Amino acid sequence: MMNTSATPIRTFGEFFPFLIQELKPRGPWLTPFNIISIPVILTGLVILVYRFIHGLGSVTNLTQDMPWGLWMGFDVITGVALAGGAYVITFVVYVMKVEKYQSIVRATVLNGLLAYTFYGGALLIDLGRPWNAPNPYIGNSFGFSSVLFLICWHFLLYMVAEFIEFSPVIAQWLHLEKARKFLKSLTLVTVVLGITLSILHQSGLGALFLMAKPKIHPLWWSPFIPILFFVSSIYAGLAMIIVEGTISHKVFRKLIEPKSHHSFDEMIFGLAKGAAIVMFVYYFFKALLFIHDKQWAMIVDGWGYWYLLEVIGFVLVPALMFAFGFKHRSLNIIKIAAVMALLGIVLNRLNVSVISFNWYADVHYFPSWQEIVVTLMVIFAELWVFRWFVTRMPVLSSEPRH
Amino acid sequence: MDSFTYVNIFETKGLEYLLLLCFWGLFVYLIRYLSSPAKKRKDSHR
Repeated sequence: MMNTSATPIRTFGEFFPFLIQELKPRGPWLTPFNIISIPVILTGLVILVYRFIHGLGSVTNLTQDMPWGLWMGFDVITGVALAGGAYVITFVVYVMKVEKYQSIVRATVLNGLLAYTFYGGALLIDLGRPWNAPNPYIGNSFGFSSVLFLICWHFLLYMVAEFIEFSPVIAQWLHLEKARKFLKSLTLVTVVLGITLSILHQSGLGALFLMAKPKIHPLWWSPFIPILFFVSSIYAGLAMIIVEGTISHKVFRKLIEPKSHHSFDEMIFGLAKGAAIVMFVYYFFKALLFIHDKQWAMIVDGWGYWYLLEVIGFVLVPALMFAFGFKHRSLNIIKIAAVMALLGIVLNRLNVSVISFNWYADVHYFPSWQEIVVTLMVIFAELWVFRWFVTRMPVLSSEPRH
Repeated sequence: MDSFTYVNIFETKGLEYLLLLCFWGLFVYLIRYLSSPAKKRKDSHR
């Protein structure tokens, strides 16, 4: 097993040389991931500079009628749903005391923290006047009546809560044992706070669309969007843990304790069981809303087929695959189901926020290549930072018992 | 005399009740299915 811990720091003056040492790249440079991601990140940065000089309209296909595009729909609305694994797994481990998932908590919390930092941070590139972003926090026009006010505060508080949840790992990395024990003692409080915040802002993201009833296709608009967003974020998080954990176990194999390799399979089966149940409930909730709103006449055109593809192809089918994979102990079926479930979440969030938005318009929005490159840049940048944390800090190793 | 349908499940929310009954029936089945012993392991490794 590769050692991620560095030499202990004894004085404050030793910290910066240590940090500089840790920031230096390790391992081979010419990897497929680097070859793909570096040009994308550099191109994305150039596009961002251009965007901040010449405005949103210079690099995006956004208009006054279509003010939210790929950056908002994918980076923020979808990215936050995919980060739901952190609050689900901390609830399971710290509140329900299901210890077998302990070894994936650190990586999942780190993933959640970075997702919120990068995808929440992506809000800034989509704001026409990003210098007004601190206003909800500093009291310059609080905007109590706005759902965005709740989301702004929740994003900030949740990132703080996740940072505190992750901070024992940083303390362990710096060999600060007393600090680690103190920070560890805060975990349960921050976990409870984090779960509360997550439930509210996951549903809050859905509540953003409540006022857009005339603009969103009736198949995707419902007064229950907040509940649908919350419930789907649970299985999105579970599916994300399966996919992210599977990739991490391949890429960072040397950093993982041998016993964790064996227990990871069992964890996947447990997560699949949970995902199957949640997706089943979500599917019937969608069906109930469909029947209640008498939407039979709407499924006979292109929008209807698109809706059925989302709800049956990417919710019901992966739910059944999760159940079948769990029952027949098939990791492959479960992993395919997890990818399908994630695609379903991406499709759902984009359908609500972008695709079915202004569905009646003659000209439909399609993202510019610059928007796609910047979105890929945000994803790659998060993966770079995730890799740095994992290869430096004891993220994938077990937590000390004491 | 006009024809009169005493029970129109589309108008009386009957379909929603039927769906809920189906849901609970299938949900109990799903939980029992997932709680019973697993079948033989096919492709899990390590």
